[in-house]
Amino acid sequence: MNKEIEHKFIVEFEQNQNIIHKVCRIYTSNQDAHNDLFQEIAIQLWKAYPKFRGESKLSTWMYRIGLNTAITLYRKSKRSIVTQDFDSVLYRIESTSYDDTEEEQLKLMYAAIHQLSDIDKALIFLYLEDVNYKEIAETMGISEVNARVRMNRIKTRLKTILNP
Amino acid sequence: MDELEFLKKDWKKQGADFPRLSYAEIYKMIHKKSSSIVKWIFIICIAEFLFWGLIALVIPESTFAIYEKFNLNSFLFIAQGLHYLVVFFFIYLFYKNYKTISVVDNTGLLMKNILKTRKTVNYYVYYNIALYILLSVILNVVMFSHPNILIENMMPKNAALDSDKFLGIMIVVQIVVLLVMCGLIWAYYRIIYGILLKKLNRNYKELETLNPK
Repeated sequence: MNKEIEHKFIVEFEQNQNIIHKVCRIYTSNQDAHNDLFQEIAIQLWKAYPKFRGESKLSTWMYRIGLNTAITLYRKSKRSIVTQDFDSVLYRIESTSYDDTEEEQLKLMYAAIHQLSDIDKALIFLYLEDVNYKEIAETMGISEVNARVRMNRIKTRLKTILNP
Repeated sequence: MDELEFLKKDWKKQGADFPRLSYAEIYKMIHKKSSSIVKWIFIICIAEFLFWGLIALVIPESTFAIYEKFNLNSFLFIAQGLHYLVVFFFIYLFYKNYKTISVVDNTGLLMKNILKTRKTVNYYVYYNIALYILLSVILNVVMFSHPNILIENMMPKNAALDSDKFLGIMIVVQIVVLLVMCGLIWAYYRIIYGILLKKLNRNYKELETLNPK
């Protein structure tokens, strides 16, 4: 493929790679899985890049491909079996429920997010990225009203996970 | 929700704790091979097209000698011609659907297009099974309506069994082979769906519940 396009892509990717790290943070719970997913998203972005015309913002385009890869295209590698992390996560919730430090609070939040479904993770991700509901709806292929309703349900669900 | 707002604040700050990939590392990364399910589906679908396309070629010529005795050859020739037309139609449909898969589409549409592509190949396999059963039935009806020719050509000359028994065994063997084949195909699809499409189907169903028609 064209070297110029490739160079442009890598420079832009280098500047915006945090977006992809954030997607991986929501969808994976160990370093191996994180790296695996990161690589697959990078490959998908590169494959789609020659057709990217800049009609949408680069970040919007990256959200779509990142989430689509995480939800649909990516298959978990054998190295990262979720159940194991899950157990330690649940353990942490029990043993630290009296600890109020911010660090622990955040750990609990992420542990709670990891228990959500793939679709709900995508909604939470877009919410944390401050994407508006219209764009969330367009990214997921659902109506704006449904996106709002679902988001409220996720918030309630996270609350229940955090304060059982 | 307080906790979420708190998380949001932290979310925006994060970045420093992520490893930062260099130009060279990214270059290396994007030239690695994808392991996406779309790629796997594509490979499996092509393999299925080839399998069902080539299976006819693997059958030895001598198998068809018997059909000549029943004047079935021209029927089989026409059936084969029609069959290849249908196969090309399926390949065209598959290619068309495959091309519509785009990772830039919204999540719902992307999943729908992947499942649609996969379905094309399922129909192709159903078609092959149906054709196999239909041909078996037609050929058997023709052959068993002329039992004399069948016995003359198929029954071992020195076998110590009468012709009725022989015809009975023929029917039983054919039914068993048919059942075993269908069983194998069923098991194969359970595995393919179980491994490859479980997550996709689950997520697609969940997204569909968010979009009542």
